[in-house]
Amino acid sequence: MSMAISVQDIGKQYWRAPRAAHQNSLRDALSEGVRGLLTRRSEARPSQESFWALKEVSFGIRHGENVGIIGLNGAGKSTLLKLLSRIAAPTTGRIRLEGRVGALLEVGTGFHRELTGRENIFLYGSILGMDRREIAAKFDAIVAFSEIGDFIDMPVKRYSSGMYVRLAFSVAAHLEPDILLLDEVLAVGDYTFQRKCMDFARRLQGKGSTILLVSHNMFSIKTMCERVIYIKGGRVAYDGPTDAGLTHYERDSYLADAAWFRPDSGDLPVKISDVTITDESGAPRTLFRHGERMRIRARYSAAEPVADPHVLFSITRSDELLCCNFSTQADGAGLAALSGEGEVELLTPPLTLTADTYTVSMVVRQRGFERLLAAKIGGRFHIEHPVFAPDVFGVFHEAGSWSLRHQDGSRATADLVSA
Amino acid sequence: MMKSLDALALGSSECGPAEQRTDPSTLRVTEIAPDDRIIAFDAAGLWQYRGLLRVLILRDLKVLYRQTALGACWAIAQPLFTVLIFTVIFGHFAKIPTDGAPYALFAGSAVVLWTYFSEAVRRSANGLVAEAELIRKIYFPRLVIPLATVVSPMVDFAIALAVMLALMLWYGAVPDWHLVLAVPTLIVTAMLALGVSLWLGPINVRFRDVKHTLPFLIQIWMYASPIVYASSIVPAPVRWLYALNPMVGLIEAFRFAILGGTPPDCFAVAVSVTAALALLVSGLIFFQRMERSFADVI
Repeated sequence: MSMAISVQDIGKQYWRAPRAAHQNSLRDALSEGVRGLLTRRSEARPSQESFWALKEVSFGIRHGENVGIIGLNGAGKSTLLKLLSRIAAPTTGRIRLEGRVGALLEVGTGFHRELTGRENIFLYGSILGMDRREIAAKFDAIVAFSEIGDFIDMPVKRYSSGMYVRLAFSVAAHLEPDILLLDEVLAVGDYTFQRKCMDFARRLQGKGSTILLVSHNMFSIKTMCERVIYIKGGRVAYDGPTDAGLTHYERDSYLADAAWFRPDSGDLPVKISDVTITDESGAPRTLFRHGERMRIRARYSAAEPVADPHVLFSITRSDELLCCNFSTQADGAGLAALSGEGEVELLTPPLTLTADTYTVSMVVRQRGFERLLAAKIGGRFHIEHPVFAPDVFGVFHEAGSWSLRHQDGSRATADLVSA
Repeated sequence: MMKSLDALALGSSECGPAEQRTDPSTLRVTEIAPDDRIIAFDAAGLWQYRGLLRVLILRDLKVLYRQTALGACWAIAQPLFTVLIFTVIFGHFAKIPTDGAPYALFAGSAVVLWTYFSEAVRRSANGLVAEAELIRKIYFPRLVIPLATVVSPMVDFAIALAVMLALMLWYGAVPDWHLVLAVPTLIVTAMLALGVSLWLGPINVRFRDVKHTLPFLIQIWMYASPIVYASSIVPAPVRWLYALNPMVGLIEAFRFAILGGTPPDCFAVAVSVTAALALLVSGLIFFQRMERSFADVI
């Protein structure tokens, strides 16, 4: 049996410095256009420097499979989606798609601000490839799903950004494609709407649709995809089960973070230059097992001495849920004054977070009047837990003491130990 | 940890999940590959997106008339004032000969067709850049854009033509059966406008100076066409050269269709039809050749 998506050895070459082209005169433009017509494109501009956004990429995706595409920024994920959705043409290789393709690279592109919600449903639906009868048949369902209600006959320029995105997504959600290409679109709207979107994706899964999801949100990748393709430098670096793929990716992304790690606190008086995550012994690490302790170290330089600092480390899950704070104020830890350069270190208690990716961010405030002195986002780590998946088991897991009392008075106790 | 790609070899006999609902053998298959063919016109793909063409035309019309305070009045006012100015300056002050017809009708008949042509070229040549956001994010045959923008000014044309016919009745002139010739004339004009746009649009994507050059080009073209004057004032020895402008034959034919009088020059009409066809065919080839890189450079 054939594949839903077969990608054979595709590559995409881009030319650098396209801007310079705009400085050319119309005379050059015309001769260029004629030359472009008569010669192969690769021969037309031999002098310009080129680079390959994707090279020798091959994979096959079976009907009904859900695959996540992961990779750092600029690795070629979006280029791959553009090629699969036919927006851009590959330079080499072949792609074969079986079934109706729905590509949602950005929700709401094609909406016209002057038109009403009703008109935009027909406009956007047609742009996505539905015919008029199909849109008309699904119209009521689209409006109901979007929760737009009576605003449907109002120009969308009066909509809030949330309403706009909800309406656009509702149209897209009713496309019912055989192959769905998704780019980060699940991360729109409020929590309830995100839930709806996930339900929609699951419904498509249930129908046997093939879904290709590009996302930075490892949480949605993990809940939706059993397989990931990790693109690195325009090539396939890993193709296989999700968990192992994410581990690969996390290792690389921590290294990448280190490169752009720079103070993002602007002109605040305290600069934080580096936040490192290490294990208890002080060795740098990004992968932790459930129940391990972690050291977070931050180097700072203070332009002025801060007498009574309030230092806060926050841990945020990959879906932006703030899980916990470690605060000098809450812990009653009076740190000495910050002055000159130095290092703040926190040794966490055993981490009871469930398996996911987390980000550490740091805030320093003046105690008392809480003036913001420094802020820094950075440092990602990954928790592994042998049993508990985050979407089922919540934010943390700790062992409790269990007991069972029977009516007859006898007592059976089971003290569980941590897994 | 690298998993071999061999395990995922294409075309292997591995089956999809058993619970799969749709039978893949009935699914539409899309093949994507680099294409260096000179002629790659995908008529089937275009037909599949005919609904989008319709919706884009409707959108242009709705937006155009909703955003302006005067709405549809604009389509009446614009040619009307143009004709008024031409009548005062060229008809009364310069006293340009019109081969007998009242100057307002003489100029008006040409202005109606010219306004359509220039609007179609202007909107169509800028259409791709105006839809850059769409081109970057969504696939559809890019040809839909110039097609829609060539069709949508036809509504303005129809309104202006109605005004023109009303103006004729005011002057006591009644069009005869020649009026039916207006239809093929409009079709050839639309083909010409599309042909020109298929060349200018893709060039505009890469070199935005087309946008700035276009109004100037259109103005020169207008004075090189028999709109404010009759082509009979062009000296006979160079008239064949003059008729190489494809709009000469079209405007003469359109004027003849509405006002009657002298039939258009056969040579000029032949040039118009030939030029329209040649530009359309070459433009389609050029456009199809360029469209695959639009998303990369726009």
